[in-house]
Amino acid sequence: MSAEGARAELRSDGLPAVTPSDAQLLERTARGDKSAFGEFVERHRGAVFRFARWCTADAADAEDVLQQTFVSAWRAAGDVRAEHGARPWLLSIARRAAAKARQRHDERRSRESSIEELGEAAGFGDERFTPERIAQATEQRTCIEAALTRLAADEREILVLRDVEGLDGAATAELLGISLAAQKSRLHRARLRWAAELRTCLDQEAQHAR
Amino acid sequence: MRGEREVAGLRCGQVLEQLSEYLEGELAPEVRGRIEAHVRACDHCARFGGVFSAAVGALRVVLRGSGEQADAHARLDDLLGRLER
Repeated sequence: MSAEGARAELRSDGLPAVTPSDAQLLERTARGDKSAFGEFVERHRGAVFRFARWCTADAADAEDVLQQTFVSAWRAAGDVRAEHGARPWLLSIARRAAAKARQRHDERRSRESSIEELGEAAGFGDERFTPERIAQATEQRTCIEAALTRLAADEREILVLRDVEGLDGAATAELLGISLAAQKSRLHRARLRWAAELRTCLDQEAQHAR
Repeated sequence: MRGEREVAGLRCGQVLEQLSEYLEGELAPEVRGRIEAHVRACDHCARFGGVFSAAVGALRVVLRGSGEQADAHARLDDLLGRLER
């Protein structure tokens, strides 16, 4: 068979003729065909999750975004025009859901803005959060590193400069272009925030182990 | 704050606020002495001080080992080896 002939067997969107198009699957989905929707989800779930994972920078948020995206797709299947494939439409839904997830994070941050609230989130008054649990976490590393990935970029930055590279306060303040007092405050808040994320991670691990 | 109390002229919140500076040895001796007097008499602050200190120590230990990704360094060595003037 010539290359020309092989192309002729493909539809305009490049899929083999035997494969239903996104538009066909969505038409069947709109009529309540769950197997068509299942095929549609299988086709796009990887791309949606990948996009969500890097937009939210958080695996749990990405999972929420993945679910919300396909729930929305199920509900709106009859309204969408997908002649050229549904992926851009799905990614636009995922993008809105990811933006909401980021907004929730920001709101949570501003709610925890006082040192007292940060301290409580970090385990002040929690008798179960002990140096021994932290020693176990150090051996596994997972939660220590995962907690760091959940911080804002400026929080990660100051922890690495001070606690990993060992720069002193004055050098760090100069490097970041902030006052010494602002540097002290940012470091302390970042440490408390990180300890709070560490505590959350350890609690989740303990729940999974049960 | 849960269990907040005032000991040695300091509230728990004030101790909490200065924990990083305490760990770094950045406080004046008089302030340091008041914090230590508070912590000796306050279970909450003693426990949290221990947790916070252990957490910062763990962060340092774990992350200082994270610059040793062999693949990344091998690729850099490879790149540097191919640089020409």
